[in-house]
Amino acid sequence: MATINGYTETAQSYQANGNNTRVNAAASPPKQPHPPEKSVNSQSVLKRLQSELMALMMSGESGISAFPEEDNIFCWRGTINGSKDTVFEGTEYKLSFSFPNDYPFKPPKVKFETFCFHPNVDNHGNICLDILQDKWSSAYDVRTILLSIQSLLGEPNVSSPLNSQAAQLWSNQEDYRKMVVKLYKPPTV
Amino acid sequence: MTTEEEATSLVRNLGILDTLSDDSIQEIVGSYNGFCAATEALLNGAGDLSVDPKFVAHVHGLCNHGLRSLVRDHFLRALEETFEKNGASKFWRHFDAYSNVALLCKAREGEVERVLCKALEDICLEKLYQENCLLALVHALPSYRDQTSGRAHLFSTYQLLVSSVLMATLPRHFSEILHWYFKGRLEELSTIMAGELNGDNESQEKDDMDLDEKSKLAYRTGEMDIDECYHQVRFSENNKLVKNIGKVVRDLRNLGFTSMTEDAYASVIFLLLKAKVHNLAGDDYRSSVLESIKRWIQAVPLQFLRALLAYLGDSVSYDSHSFGQKSPLASHPSSCYPGIDTPSEGLVRWQLRLEYFAYETLQDLRIAKLFEIIVDYPDSSPAIEDLKQCLEYTGQHSKLVESFISALRYRLLTAGASTNDILHQYVSTIKALRTIDPAGVFLEAVGEPIRDYLRGRKDTIKCIVTMLTGGTGGNPNVSGNTGDCLLEELNRDEESQENTSVDDDFITDEKQAWIDALRWEPDPAEADPSKGSRNRRKVDVLGMIVGIIGSKDQLVNEYRVMLAEKLLNKSDYDIDSDIRTLELLKIHFGESSMQKCEIMLNDLIDSKRTNTNIKATITQPSQTGAELGENAVSMDILDATIISSNFWPTIQDEALNVPDPVEKLLSDYAKRFNEIKTPRKLLWKKNLGTVKLELQFEDREVQFTVAPVHAAIIMQFQEQTSWTSKSLAAAIGIPVDVLNRRINFWISKGILAESPGADSSDHVFTLMEGMIETSKNSGNSGSSEDLVAGDEEGERSVVSAEDQLRKEMTVYEKLIIGMLTNFGSMALDRMHNTLKMFCVADPPYDKSLQQLQSFLSGLVSEDKLELRDGMYFLKK
Repeated sequence: MATINGYTETAQSYQANGNNTRVNAAASPPKQPHPPEKSVNSQSVLKRLQSELMALMMSGESGISAFPEEDNIFCWRGTINGSKDTVFEGTEYKLSFSFPNDYPFKPPKVKFETFCFHPNVDNHGNICLDILQDKWSSAYDVRTILLSIQSLLGEPNVSSPLNSQAAQLWSNQEDYRKMVVKLYKPPTV
Repeated sequence: MTTEEEATSLVRNLGILDTLSDDSIQEIVGSYNGFCAATEALLNGAGDLSVDPKFVAHVHGLCNHGLRSLVRDHFLRALEETFEKNGASKFWRHFDAYSNVALLCKAREGEVERVLCKALEDICLEKLYQENCLLALVHALPSYRDQTSGRAHLFSTYQLLVSSVLMATLPRHFSEILHWYFKGRLEELSTIMAGELNGDNESQEKDDMDLDEKSKLAYRTGEMDIDECYHQVRFSENNKLVKNIGKVVRDLRNLGFTSMTEDAYASVIFLLLKAKVHNLAGDDYRSSVLESIKRWIQAVPLQFLRALLAYLGDSVSYDSHSFGQKSPLASHPSSCYPGIDTPSEGLVRWQLRLEYFAYETLQDLRIAKLFEIIVDYPDSSPAIEDLKQCLEYTGQHSKLVESFISALRYRLLTAGASTNDILHQYVSTIKALRTIDPAGVFLEAVGEPIRDYLRGRKDTIKCIVTMLTGGTGGNPNVSGNTGDCLLEELNRDEESQENTSVDDDFITDEKQAWIDALRWEPDPAEADPSKGSRNRRKVDVLGMIVGIIGSKDQLVNEYRVMLAEKLLNKSDYDIDSDIRTLELLKIHFGESSMQKCEIMLNDLIDSKRTNTNIKATITQPSQTGAELGENAVSMDILDATIISSNFWPTIQDEALNVPDPVEKLLSDYAKRFNEIKTPRKLLWKKNLGTVKLELQFEDREVQFTVAPVHAAIIMQFQEQTSWTSKSLAAAIGIPVDVLNRRINFWISKGILAESPGADSSDHVFTLMEGMIETSKNSGNSGSSEDLVAGDEEGERSVVSAEDQLRKEMTVYEKLIIGMLTNFGSMALDRMHNTLKMFCVADPPYDKSLQQLQSFLSGLVSEDKLELRDGMYFLKK
């Protein structure tokens, strides 16, 4: 009968990793004028945007995406798909991001490039969203902005509309859906 | 002689004729007729040179009438006719027998020589006689007697006449005859000389044996003088031979065959030289032949030429300028011509021509065989050294590059050559060409095709790492271990270079800079200006090897994978040789890039300590042994390798149920580890490692060293001698297909037997008891060996660099999908640029456009992308 007389094993121990705690730069008050060290900072802005891009790409979040223009990392193009079970289901909206030189202490300018029939988006694509204005924090990044806008589509703030017609219609979801479909122009490639 | 001719020749004198009286005409005609007859008698006089007094009187008579030119012209014409009849046609008749070149080849030794000498003798006699006739005329002509210039003119006219007659009637095969004549003579001379030379060499070689290079050289130059004098003495014995040749040459020149003669012996000398070079150089690359060729040039053709020129008496007095244009070979001009104070300019020119020809011939010969020479490189370095000297003189480096590249393409860069061989040849090429061309310009050109080709091979990196480290990378099947790794060799080279350069303590940086500045030479004209200056191109074998792969990171990565494989398969903790290799790699690649590998080795050292510690402090299972029964195993048999997985390459993880007693052992070990190293925990990789086991049958015992999975399989047969594949797979906790693959090992060893079960996909494995059945099975084992081999291939415990690359590419895939989502469609180069700009992952994007393209077409074939009109789209 077979008998095992020896046994050698290779083991592996997981050594405790130093936690990669993300160091968030303390959000300086936006009112305070910034010291004129833009040239010094631009390198760090570049790094920040690059790492944000990699993080966004690796996160594999479905329905949101953004990517810098070919030659300028301060200008991005974004894409948002309307969430399921909302009136925007099946639509795809293009956005433009324009980052200031003192990002992330100042929010980027974000606009809809595709027409969006939405209470908080005006005819020119300007968005009324608190985190893009006075509620901005340097802890936010492109990904959180995209997610916020995506959720804004399904949950508009009807009380302070930029598009009052849309705000009025919001209560009637069926008609609103018809309006969205009627006005939606899929982005041309 | 007819009157018609007289009339034409007298036409110039028609004016005079008018003034002449009938009497005078009568007198002139009488004298002329007399003169013609006397001339004929004189020329055909057959050796009788007694000048008829009437002849003189007739000449005088004609001259008195102012008809001197008539006399001269007629006499010359008569000479020409006679020469044509008596001299030339007879002369050529001697050679009629050899009008067929084929016959000439068959001619007996010396026959050509004899015929030529005889013919020359005859014709020269004839010529001499005619010259005497001419002299008689000169004496007869009153005013010519003391007018030397007119006399010289007359003789040169005659000389011209002779050669034009001969040239006009020259048979085509005459140059062939001359060629054969000189060939025979020179070969004879060469044989005599060579006999002496060899005798000298032998005695000299014996003396030279133990002397180092420098003193050898000095010795040789000293010896050379003696040699030359000695040759001088011996040469007098050959003087007869040379004199004979000289006589022939002189006679030929005399007849106006100067250039033809020179062509003939020149071509023969070059022919002999070529044969000599081929003979000496041959297919032996282990010795330098340049020196002996040079000696031969000195000994045979130059001696001959010197004697010949001296004999012919046209040695031009030594011109001081000739030293200025001496060949680099004639480094000791004074010792080259010890017998003669000064070499004639003609001789120096000859020497330069001969040496250049020798260099070129040897160079062509060596270049044609360069591939073979490099194959046995370290042994063939004398041949390389020769080639270097030749090229320095001829400057035909481009010939080398072209010829060698085509040889490489034809003989090395083919599917049949193994990557190892190509790499070894590459290294030899680098080393060999470094000698010829320290600047590395030609190496760059020659290395390019090899590098390009190697980049296309999958196993290049692996072979390079194996070659560098001399390790077998955990795979003992890899052959071609030359016993010594390249890295060690490189280190030795470097050390020796350092040793030679540090020859005194006074070398300061400034001094070194000055030396460097003095040594500066412009790049050869063939240098590619885009490849940077020579300083940057310093030939570095390792650098050129790394250059094949592109970056050292890839090389280091591959080494890490191979090292991991090797370390994981070790059952003792002996890593001395690996530490040495790592230290060598650190020297070349820097500490930081080898850091992970160092941690891996440190893990092994730590494991050894921890392992001992755990085993010493663990609660001995002997107390609980009774409870576990006979299956209990002692902790002593377990040795663990504890790795810091962050620094190791990704490790294959396969689930495996190990037998209970072993499981218990492992968990005890892990518990103890946790106690000692809190808060660290031990996670077992149960599929890795090796198991030594012994199978005890009723009639025999068999020992094996196997992978854990094999041990787990065979353990199951301890309780139950027959298993279906499905239930066995479930018991061990591995997929059925993996089991089927792994179990082949035991089937091939004749321990288990496979038989079809009830279900077609379910096999039954039975334990084979007893020798008889095993031996029956042994016939089977041959056919199943390939299965084992296939099995081992799938057994790698570490993720290969190839898989690593695939992982990298998935990062790019996400980025590509991201950019296409936002931009809709993009062209290849825009995607390439975008990736270059924004992909800052670790490692950053470093692929070429072609690599990206092939990756993208992979995505297209996976239906993830679409390619239309050169634009890529996301497939929806």
